[in-house]
Amino acid sequence: MKRPRFALTAVLLLAATSARAADASLIDGAKKEGEVVWYTTQIISQLVRPMSAAFERKYGIKVRSTRANSTELSVKIINESRAGRPQSDIFDGTSTVVVLKKEGYVLKWLPDPAKAYPAQYKDPEGYWVANNLFFMTPGFNTSLVPRGSEPRSYEALLDPRWRGKMVWSTSATSSGGPGFIGTVLTEMGEAKGMAYLRELAKQKVVNVAGAAREVLDQVIAGEYPLALQIFNHHTVISAKKGAPVDWIRMEPVTGTLSVLSVHKDAPHPNAAKLLADFIISGEGQQIFRAAEYLPADPTVPPLTPSLTPEGGKFRTHFFTPEQTEDQMPGWKKIHDDLFR
Amino acid sequence: MIESERTRLGASLQVPLLTALLIVVLVTLVLPPLIFLLKASVMIGDTPSHTHFGLDHFAAVLGSRRFVASSINSLLFAAGSAVVALVFGWVSAWIVERTNTPLKPLAYLTAIISLGTPYILYVSAWLLVLGKAGPVNQLYRSLTGASDVLIDVYSMPGMIMVEGFLWSPLAFLLVGATLRNTNPELEEAARMSGAGLWATIKRITLRLSLPSILALAMLVFIRAVEAFEVPALVGLPGRVSVLTTDIYSNMVAKAPPDIGGASALSVLMLLLVLLLLYGYGRLSRHAERFATVTGKGFRARAFDLGRLRYAAAAVLILNFVLLLLVPVAMLVWVSLLPFYQPVSAAALKLVTLDNYRTVLSPEHLDLIANTLVVAVATATIAMALTFIAAWLSVRRAPGGLMLDRLATIPLVFPGLVLGIAVMQLFLNVPVPLYGTLGILVWAFVINYLPYGMRYSASGMLQIHRELEEVAQMCGASPFTRLRRIVAPLLAPALLAGWLFIFLMAARVLSLPILLAGPRSQTMAVTLFDLWTNGQGTELAALGLIWSMLMAMIAAIFYALARRSAAAALARA
Repeated sequence: MKRPRFALTAVLLLAATSARAADASLIDGAKKEGEVVWYTTQIISQLVRPMSAAFERKYGIKVRSTRANSTELSVKIINESRAGRPQSDIFDGTSTVVVLKKEGYVLKWLPDPAKAYPAQYKDPEGYWVANNLFFMTPGFNTSLVPRGSEPRSYEALLDPRWRGKMVWSTSATSSGGPGFIGTVLTEMGEAKGMAYLRELAKQKVVNVAGAAREVLDQVIAGEYPLALQIFNHHTVISAKKGAPVDWIRMEPVTGTLSVLSVHKDAPHPNAAKLLADFIISGEGQQIFRAAEYLPADPTVPPLTPSLTPEGGKFRTHFFTPEQTEDQMPGWKKIHDDLFR
Repeated sequence: MIESERTRLGASLQVPLLTALLIVVLVTLVLPPLIFLLKASVMIGDTPSHTHFGLDHFAAVLGSRRFVASSINSLLFAAGSAVVALVFGWVSAWIVERTNTPLKPLAYLTAIISLGTPYILYVSAWLLVLGKAGPVNQLYRSLTGASDVLIDVYSMPGMIMVEGFLWSPLAFLLVGATLRNTNPELEEAARMSGAGLWATIKRITLRLSLPSILALAMLVFIRAVEAFEVPALVGLPGRVSVLTTDIYSNMVAKAPPDIGGASALSVLMLLLVLLLLYGYGRLSRHAERFATVTGKGFRARAFDLGRLRYAAAAVLILNFVLLLLVPVAMLVWVSLLPFYQPVSAAALKLVTLDNYRTVLSPEHLDLIANTLVVAVATATIAMALTFIAAWLSVRRAPGGLMLDRLATIPLVFPGLVLGIAVMQLFLNVPVPLYGTLGILVWAFVINYLPYGMRYSASGMLQIHRELEEVAQMCGASPFTRLRRIVAPLLAPALLAGWLFIFLMAARVLSLPILLAGPRSQTMAVTLFDLWTNGQGTELAALGLIWSMLMAMIAAIFYALARRSAAAALARA
């Protein structure tokens, strides 16, 4: 009886030491590389800046970032990788990874802290791990739309009073018109969903060629009273600064994961792993929390619990990166046909 | 005798050699992206192993109703913008160059600062001013009690207005340069023969500057056809699609991107622009008839407008308010807020300098350095190439016409598409430019060759060949002629061209948007990122600081250009 236990302890000890050793050599290697390039879909001022600053403080390694949406990032990474000139070390997004995985440009590796994450927040094959959760809801300008008179259901959006007053992003991601269409079709089914969307098209939803953050800003500015498919935590971030804005608990809410991967041929392979590890670690997740983002780490609760389905008690349709990627061309086509 | 024969032979060989060298350089620059674009437009299938050639992309584009609508919109938009820009530009240039109106410096101030302003910044400023929540509509609502808007800026007229405003400072400077170099003898003769002010303008001034006006109109028209910023920021939300936004949607708003469709559409645009260029070529064929800079000295005399000069000053003030004061004031307001808020006393409580603190960080110094390096290198290379090309072409050297055509080819590229083409090029050739500032310079040089060429060539057209013929008879070699006669006379045009390209390369977005990497960010790309990220208040702060810097540079170079113009004329 004693021997197996000893063996187990030895194995655990060995694993722990080797993990630490790997860490030390990783940090060493990363410091030699001196910088790390992060292709991100996150908002720079809200999250990328504090995250980079914390990482630079801790390791003295410069973080360079480029922001674009999921689709633009994957196009960029594919182009660079096909030519053998990858520029990115790590990248994130709601669906960036899927096509890159198919093309073979993603490292099959997960940072250690990911082990403690729930299974649904990790790729079963080990190519990605979630760094935060997104919930897409409508948002409204509280000066233009008195509280209580905001539309609370999908049907309510068809009220003539919202004609020409709603705005969304054209981005072919879950946080744009196509993402909204995806949730409607999933909830109502093909026939009813399309009938609904045809009615919605008569409402002349305004297209903005920017991120959902920009859409929400236009609503805050008073350009439009109502935004569709924006990130609910963005309204909290802005409201904290005094902006007249709130989100609407319109069910079902679109839920997605922002997931993180390391490039297979990262120019700075050690720094890449170190940054990925940092973002997924408790320390990195605390930065998400402090920024009013919704951490993926279940041990780090969000600052505003009502933003999540558990805390806010709302029903969600969750889309994995693969589901989003597979269905996006169809949703995008409907968006083009009906709403442009 | 033998010695001088040899010199003549050497001289006669210099020109063809120069021409050949320049042709090689231009072909290397211009043709590869074109070939990549054409190839992409006929390549069917999206995986490298399963492709064949076909016309499917063209069939799909031509078969869509959207193509017709977007084409018509593109032409309307471009024509409208050219008219707005030229009316604003010509009127203020004429007032400044030909009359005794007070407040002339205001016009230069307006033009120079506007030229330094990145498009993205300018367009967002106008959207803020004219938007549903902007001060104009706000005022209208509070005056009339209406709940609607007075102006819907997200419309075709709105697009034309903003694009026209964007180009009117340039039109002002170019028309001004032409008027300044135009011999006023004929105008004075007309006045002395009893022709009134309007008759003189109509029958002499306008007719003499017709070729330069038409050339300028063509420039603005083509650039507006290719414009991206205004169609994307104003047209897309207003559901006014043009060809460039269709290409853009194919490229980035679609998963996976439809590179074939975008390329086919680009090739069709290319054909459209070729058609326009053909018309332009016919127009400027008999340019010698309009030669207005000759060996004769002259000094332009100002018309006395009498009391009308106060009305003219009012026009200059209106120009200043519309093109500069209003957008800048709006940006200052926004830059002081933590988030967009309409102008109101209540919002004054929110005022903060946080945005300035954020954007005055060391990382933005890199950004400024990057942008300056790219802009200086681009302007210098492009003007050096086109100076010689324009001389060879205007003086009808063998092969000169080909140089002109080669340097003009890039006009057919929308910046966005050139970006894609150049990116594909450097991803596939073993030259390690990708991800560096070098690829930006490469693409920008291609992009601005036509503009450098127009500046150099329109300057050349005004220099009568009699000056060079005199030098030639005195035994000057082609290089001596270039250096001693052409360069000094052309200096104002060259400097103006340099300045234009420098400022464009520093402000334009559509080209670097796809080429800038994490280590080669430029200002316009960062401003666009700030806009799409919804960091509009930071955009305003960073943009204002940058525009101030650029306006100072623009002012220095403008002063230089003017002085060398005076010097060149004095020498002539």
